[in-house]
Amino acid sequence: MSHAEGHLPSDATAGIAQGVGARLTRKEDDRFMRGRGQYVADIRIAGLQDIAFVRSPLAHARIRGIHVLERFRDVVFTAADLTGVKPIRAVSGLPGFKISEQPVLATGKVRHVGELVAMCVAPSRAEAEDIAASVTLDLEELPAVYDMLGARDAGTALVHEHWGDNVFLESAFEVDITRAFDAPIKVTREISTARQCMSPLEGRGVVATFDHRLDQLTLYTGAQMPHIVRNGLSDCLDIEQGRIRIVSPDIGGGFGHKGILLPEEVCLAWLTMRKGCAVRWIEDRREHLTASANCREHHYRITVYADRDGRLRGIDCEATVDSGAYSSYPFSACLEAAQVASILPGPYRMPAYRCRTFSVATNKCPILPYRGVARTGVCFALEIMLDAVAVAAGIEPGEVRLRNLVSPDEMPFDNITRKHFDSGDYPQAMRRALAAIDIASVRARQRTREADGRLIGVGLSIYCEQAAHGTSVYAGWGIPMVPGHEQANARMTPDGGLEIRVGVHSHGQGLETTLAQIAYEILGIETNKVRVVHGDTALTPYSTGTWGSRSMVMAGGAVATACIEIGERAKRIGAKLLQLDPAMVTLRDGRVCGPNSSIALAEVAHTWYRRPQDLPPDVDPGGLESTSGYKPQRDSGTFSYAAHAVTVAVDPDLGEVEILDYVIVEDGGVLVNPMIVDGQIYGGLAQGIGTALYEEMPFDSAGQPLATTLADYLLPGPAEVPEPRLDHMETPSPYTMFGVKGIGEGGAIAPPAAIANAVNDALRPLGVELLHSPMSPRRIVEAVLAARRAERPAA
Amino acid sequence: MTMIGLTVNARPVEASVEPRTHLADFLRDNLDLTGTHLGCEHGVCGACTLLIDGMPARSCITYAVACDGAKVTTIEGLDDDEITAELRAAFTREHALQCGYCTPGMLISARDLVLRLAEPDERSVRAGLSGNLCRCTGYVGIVRAVRAVIEQRRRRGIAPVAGGGRQTLGPVGSGNATNSAQPDGARGTTAKPEAPQPMSGASAIPDFTPAKTFGETFTVPYPPDKVFDMLGDVRQVAACLPGASLTDMPTPERVEGAIRVKLGPISADFRGAARIERDVDTLSGRIVGIGSDQRSRSSTQGEIRYRLVPSEQGAATRVELSIGYSLKGMLAQIARDGLVRDLAARLTADFARNLDRHLSGDQTAVITEGRQELNGMTMLIDILRKRVSTAIRRFLAR
Amino acid sequence: MKAAAFAYERPTDLSATLALMARANGTAKLIAGGQSLGPMLNLRLVEPDLIIDISGLSELKWADRRGDELVIGACVTHGDIEDGRIPDVTRGAMQRVAGAIAYRAVRNRGTIGGSLSHADPAADWVSALSALRAQVALRSAAGARDLPVERFVTGALESALRPGEIVEAVRVPAMAASARWGYVKACRKIGEFAHAIAAVLIDPEQATARVVIGAVEAAPIVLADAAALFGGRITGDFERQFDARVADAILTKAGLANAADRHIHVAVLRRAIGEAASA
Repeated sequence: MSHAEGHLPSDATAGIAQGVGARLTRKEDDRFMRGRGQYVADIRIAGLQDIAFVRSPLAHARIRGIHVLERFRDVVFTAADLTGVKPIRAVSGLPGFKISEQPVLATGKVRHVGELVAMCVAPSRAEAEDIAASVTLDLEELPAVYDMLGARDAGTALVHEHWGDNVFLESAFEVDITRAFDAPIKVTREISTARQCMSPLEGRGVVATFDHRLDQLTLYTGAQMPHIVRNGLSDCLDIEQGRIRIVSPDIGGGFGHKGILLPEEVCLAWLTMRKGCAVRWIEDRREHLTASANCREHHYRITVYADRDGRLRGIDCEATVDSGAYSSYPFSACLEAAQVASILPGPYRMPAYRCRTFSVATNKCPILPYRGVARTGVCFALEIMLDAVAVAAGIEPGEVRLRNLVSPDEMPFDNITRKHFDSGDYPQAMRRALAAIDIASVRARQRTREADGRLIGVGLSIYCEQAAHGTSVYAGWGIPMVPGHEQANARMTPDGGLEIRVGVHSHGQGLETTLAQIAYEILGIETNKVRVVHGDTALTPYSTGTWGSRSMVMAGGAVATACIEIGERAKRIGAKLLQLDPAMVTLRDGRVCGPNSSIALAEVAHTWYRRPQDLPPDVDPGGLESTSGYKPQRDSGTFSYAAHAVTVAVDPDLGEVEILDYVIVEDGGVLVNPMIVDGQIYGGLAQGIGTALYEEMPFDSAGQPLATTLADYLLPGPAEVPEPRLDHMETPSPYTMFGVKGIGEGGAIAPPAAIANAVNDALRPLGVELLHSPMSPRRIVEAVLAARRAERPAA
Repeated sequence: MTMIGLTVNARPVEASVEPRTHLADFLRDNLDLTGTHLGCEHGVCGACTLLIDGMPARSCITYAVACDGAKVTTIEGLDDDEITAELRAAFTREHALQCGYCTPGMLISARDLVLRLAEPDERSVRAGLSGNLCRCTGYVGIVRAVRAVIEQRRRRGIAPVAGGGRQTLGPVGSGNATNSAQPDGARGTTAKPEAPQPMSGASAIPDFTPAKTFGETFTVPYPPDKVFDMLGDVRQVAACLPGASLTDMPTPERVEGAIRVKLGPISADFRGAARIERDVDTLSGRIVGIGSDQRSRSSTQGEIRYRLVPSEQGAATRVELSIGYSLKGMLAQIARDGLVRDLAARLTADFARNLDRHLSGDQTAVITEGRQELNGMTMLIDILRKRVSTAIRRFLAR
Repeated sequence: MKAAAFAYERPTDLSATLALMARANGTAKLIAGGQSLGPMLNLRLVEPDLIIDISGLSELKWADRRGDELVIGACVTHGDIEDGRIPDVTRGAMQRVAGAIAYRAVRNRGTIGGSLSHADPAADWVSALSALRAQVALRSAAGARDLPVERFVTGALESALRPGEIVEAVRVPAMAASARWGYVKACRKIGEFAHAIAAVLIDPEQATARVVIGAVEAAPIVLADAAALFGGRITGDFERQFDARVADAILTKAGLANAADRHIHVAVLRRAIGEAASA
């Protein structure tokens, strides 16, 4: 396979650069900028009826009765109507995992605020909401499990009674931890991250209809993984997969939120078959914030052992993740917590390690892996600890990191949890970040008083992002979805264009452009003649979809593989037409070229499709279409990484944090489209800033969510996010096509840690250390006041 | 249903709409103009921003009926608009969009800034775009694109237009209607659905731990046994609770009733039942109640505890009162905690004061039975203001 | 998230509006720009039987300087004020306050009268106009009356409006040339409702200081004579004389039990005073 193993972009082609590495503007932009994107809510089907759901107002209650007015009996459906519909089960194969069954409409109990209880149908959403408002619920309230730490105490209410406790899964990993205990430096902290909502600007939405001609249920749903939704629907409804078609049209942002099988999807699929009309449910923002899925509520009790020079001797950690009431399909309730144990050590060397994790069930909506999954929390905890070690050792935080990071000459590197790092130069990324942020001048500035009374701080963080990890990793988790070979279909059209069909989904990542760039790289067909088809189970090869920063590596590799195959066949046809030996021709600029003559691929395509009489008798009957599968040479994942450095000014009176400068030194291997990669990093940073400073879904002791509108759940706006300075390193992955690595999530992983370290650096003179995200003004002011009281107990 | 006529993307449109239909739904559902997106439907995210009478406005919190006679321009109507065309070129060059969902609203707000801002300074552009959320791009490309277009246009000598060129006062879109709105006789769903039947009186009234509690203590000039007797009369106790009414004849152990609370334009009718416990030996008791407001799908649990302590050799009684509550459902999820807390504090203060007066024989002060509303925090604020002015006088007197 | 059904009326003049309100007997809600009411309707927190749209009433959409004050019709928008489409008597103070309310698209419809009527303690006009000694002109079928803004807003989301009564106009006295103005609010992000507001109008020449502490989840705290905050006397040196302990004590007395809340309010107040001093 000539293009594998760190292959770099070919010679610049004529005209504008369009291949791998080109900063090509996006093919998809125009329709969006003219309001002609097609999102689920934009789909029009004759006779479409709208759905509103009656949802539980309580976090935990027994359902005594659901009262429906007589005149609405035909348009309100409850669990009693859904005969034969199975609950959603997302089981993990990890030993000890306890299974939750998520009924699509609540039966017996409700286990979180917003859980679906009844489904109401009307010609418009407003009328459906009128009907929903008329349904009365008779609920016997039960004590709510709202605190994941207390949830493990004996005597606590049980989310799932038959479990006997509230723990989905407990896991542990240990290497020689006792050998660290005599380390001269031992720092212990309790660190936590708030529950968050992913909040893509478009919520979920489903349109379901039944096509009698095809005897097929068609479900339009904003799904990152349409094929996985089909698996889940088939299981729940017990209908064969061929009778289900999932169409995922344009999606207004995913970030993980659209990587889950929704009870609403099952409900609407059932309903359209039952009622015979098309039905639609469009999630509103309140439903999104309260009911659908949250993420990222982590808690760490963590001790780091180090030598006096800051070298790590070991980490000992107990991590707890609030998984909510149900295990969500397909990622399960335990992926996040169990992942913590395996990724906590990150890119650092250490001889000893222990981590116990708990995935805890509570009366909150389920969690989903949000951009970065557990890494954001892990990075937050670990990097705060690195700073604590630096303070204890009296060494600059940057220096402590440099002393512990894996070095390039150790690559490929297996860390203490046996994560296999493919390539990279972590210390160099850190050094470049330190130079760019100019630590020395920040330190100098800190020694002078700011005129406005604010305090200056600088913070660092570094992480690694395991991306595109495949069969070997996910078979171990044993969840309902294990990625295998990624497939792509490529087909030349009779006029010389190319159609590419992939099972991943593009919803902002620009795959319609970047996959075309890859095709161009191989075949030289202009990107404007390449169409990427995605988001339709009827048209695309099976795929686990878009998640885990995998699409560019996996689908990109598959597209390349399919194009290489077409290219080989085209060369043989072209050689025949040029009357040359196939060994004498090459593919260049969209032409099959011999030493003195060439023929356009379009001509080859024309011959294959429309003048088959001119083809050689031994022509490959596969023609100019190929469906090919791809896996990297090792499927344990690519490791992209970045060092983040940030300077902040903190107002200790108002608790306001201003980001003065933000530097990211990033290595995502070979970049297919650097403009798009930059965009992913910028966007990830904004979400990371949201995690660090703004976003929080608090619950009260009754399990009531308290940030249920965007007036309370604060998403960073243009004035809250700075423009960072980016610096790219490009260490190719030795295992992937072109040497690319996955980078989609990374931008969101490091900012909370870097900003926390910067805020703590600023506030250190006041004796303040913040260990909880978001670092809201209130938390900062409270910490400052507490430190003052501690200093002057008499006051 | 109400008949309206307006201009959408330079095309006259007449339609019959339900008054509750917001402009975005009207455009999307009636006219199939789906370029206007809904992100939050409460005016925060900006995805639904479009032009009304040439000015950006939120179409999710502007009702279509209120736009009678207005000129509405959606993203679909800006295909040939010069500024928007320049913005589109800049947006794609600067990678100012990813998923595209915020883009139509973002372009509308960006266009307004390009029109109005004299200088492309980053701060003004960012502040000017702050009503439009983007979850994908981190705003980097958007800000660059908008600044670039402003910069180019000013360099080409195109002057900014102060105030976006608007000359008239008042909400954009208003004042264009030529006559008063009239229902057009077409059947809509204007009639409210009938009120759902109240839940059967809660059978069991469980104990609970209140999320919030407030205490009050006062002394009345009556002996404890008399006070204790009065507190045993549920009707009298209820009469001291503003907004409360009984719906059934109470027994000494149980009472059914309702309480109406009002927080600005929000009002809730909590209907439910209470259980009464008394201990004559300790001269103490408590009333534990639960109630729910069907409309807002909210429920509350409340508890009034009292203890009577003889004072002045038994001639008077010190009443130690503690009121606790928990609130669940939509009201708990939406209302700012402070607002509800203040309302409850006011309720406690009111109840104590009424009880005090009632026990003191001042019947006039007692709120009579019936459906009088507990009206916000008016009284607490009065008290507060008095406290503050007292405080100030005290400082001045120093 | 769709509003419950309501009937809609758009009367053509003020007297028809007042008559309609009188007939509706408290079951109607007025809507002007709808930027506060709209979200509450969509969330079904408010379900009125009848909505009366006053946004078209020309009697409420004008502004004029009359002697020493500016009269602003209730349906003048924040955007009208921000853009200078109406005269100014506050030396730019109102323009700056208006320009920082919510977002541009909201300011193009949100009105000054609507904002006051809604009486959200975290809203800007409630505090700013109290500090500017503004009055509201109220009208009902029964007659008209004026109230100072600080007496109009009686509590969180509570105003002195009687059933059938409407805010007709706001009357803002001209700011003296010697007066210093400071207005600061603490928001976690632009456009968010404030967590603390301070509005100060200090005139060292007249030795007067009016201080408003807002966004306290109740009606703003109005210190009509705030000399106590400045050691008892207002001088040109007022910024240095500001005594944060007095401010803290006032907030404590006003029922702000949480120390961090008070701290933030005092810090915002100090900043507003600083702004006035450098004005």
